[in-house]
Amino acid sequence: MSKQKLLEVNGLTKHYGQHLAVNKLDLEVNKGEIFGLLGPNGAGKSTTIECILGTKHFDSGMVRLLGQDPLVERKSLFNRVGVQFQASHFPDRIKVKEICELTASLYKKDYEWESLLNQFSLTDKKNVMVSELSGGQRQKLSVVLALIHQPEIVFLDELTTGLDPKARREVWKYMKQLKSQGLTIFLTSHYMDEVTHLCDRISIICNGEEVAHGTPDDVIKASGKENLEEAYLYYVGEEEGSHEELEGII
Amino acid sequence: MKSLKVLFKIEFLLAIREFSGVLFGIILPVGLMTLLGILYGNKPAFEGADFTLLQQSFAAVITIGICATGLMGIPLTVANYREKKILKRFKVTPTSPATLLLAQFLNNLLFAVTSSFLVWIVAKLFFGYTMKGSVLMFILAYGFVTLAIYSLGMLIASVSGNIKTANLLCTITYFPMFFLSGATVPYEIMPKGLQMVSNVMPLTQGIKLLKAISLDTNYDFSLTGGSLVIPVLVLCLTAIAGIAVSIKTFRWE
Repeated sequence: MSKQKLLEVNGLTKHYGQHLAVNKLDLEVNKGEIFGLLGPNGAGKSTTIECILGTKHFDSGMVRLLGQDPLVERKSLFNRVGVQFQASHFPDRIKVKEICELTASLYKKDYEWESLLNQFSLTDKKNVMVSELSGGQRQKLSVVLALIHQPEIVFLDELTTGLDPKARREVWKYMKQLKSQGLTIFLTSHYMDEVTHLCDRISIICNGEEVAHGTPDDVIKASGKENLEEAYLYYVGEEEGSHEELEGII
Repeated sequence: MKSLKVLFKIEFLLAIREFSGVLFGIILPVGLMTLLGILYGNKPAFEGADFTLLQQSFAAVITIGICATGLMGIPLTVANYREKKILKRFKVTPTSPATLLLAQFLNNLLFAVTSSFLVWIVAKLFFGYTMKGSVLMFILAYGFVTLAIYSLGMLIASVSGNIKTANLLCTITYFPMFFLSGATVPYEIMPKGLQMVSNVMPLTQGIKLLKAISLDTNYDFSLTGGSLVIPVLVLCLTAIAGIAVSIKTFRWE
């Protein structure tokens, strides 16, 4: 039985001026799985997501999200796709219930968001200013906002960066729950324990090129290392430090 | 339409909470009109004038709301939303970020119109103000002035790369216009040199146009032989330049 592909990326290539950010990248995400895109800072993760979502134009390659071209069918597509960008920001002085109402209003159908807030243990924060939430609560809220319209696939960029271990575990729990409800999740992360715990399949990219892919176990085996963290470091090499400075340029 | 309604409502709540728009756009001009009413009473604008000082000042005070919303409210919020990537977030929803901008515009317009309406009520009820000229013409001219000032505001929002630049540009456009255009300090009592400086500002020309219409007079406010060609021309140019530069340079992120 062939799996249903929700996302197909073929030969995606993107330059920033002279700098090659993404090079001939191929990706596939199947329905119902949690897919992790890994790589050091500046490896091209966020750029890849933005090219997939059509918020950035790419030089060559093909992107099919839910079988559609995101640059052409933005309106119909984003009724079915959820997005949480890295480091979400909110308008000043907005309350939790207001940002929920606002986000829900952006979609064609009317969606009820109270039960989602409840599922993420945020119901008692409904009347609180977003700025007064803790880091973990705000991150959970940004996930709620990405899910408000019951998307088929959701993109979560650096979902747990900046969260304390307890809040991270809590977010993981929700991810597993959502997966069991049939949601397909595309995430990026720097934490290998998180990836091991959550992801069905991963792709490691470095300098915009794929250096490894498969299930976490496949990747560990192929590298001959003991765990994913070791395998990851093996694949991204010792260049990790030198990529940090690229962030600034981009 | 559903999005616009909700966005408008929430932007309105945020503006009330933010309060500076209420303070500078509504309370300040209404307070100023009260003060002018008490100070001027029924004094004629000058010896032999067939209109009062209050009638002469009315058109100026009524523009404060346009300025506070157009040169502070709109550019600062837009720059803020862009810097915080809130406009970009809208790009991955079925609703265009332009809807958010429209909600912003309508909200600011509501504040400006409310401000002007309250100023008129205070002037009429407490100080017996009546408009000598055509009210319809006045409303049309008011819309025209608003268009020019809001275009200028969008120009500021478009050319500033971040919120700091927007803040700076707003300050150096807003405050000189606020003090030198005749909106707060009457143009008529300024020395000639200052009047010359003031004449460069689109708001000064807007106020001249509104004055001429509200007083139904050929009195030479513009120092150009009483002709309204210059004010209309300056406002048109401001609006066209503002819209053109905004369209050319505006970025969602």
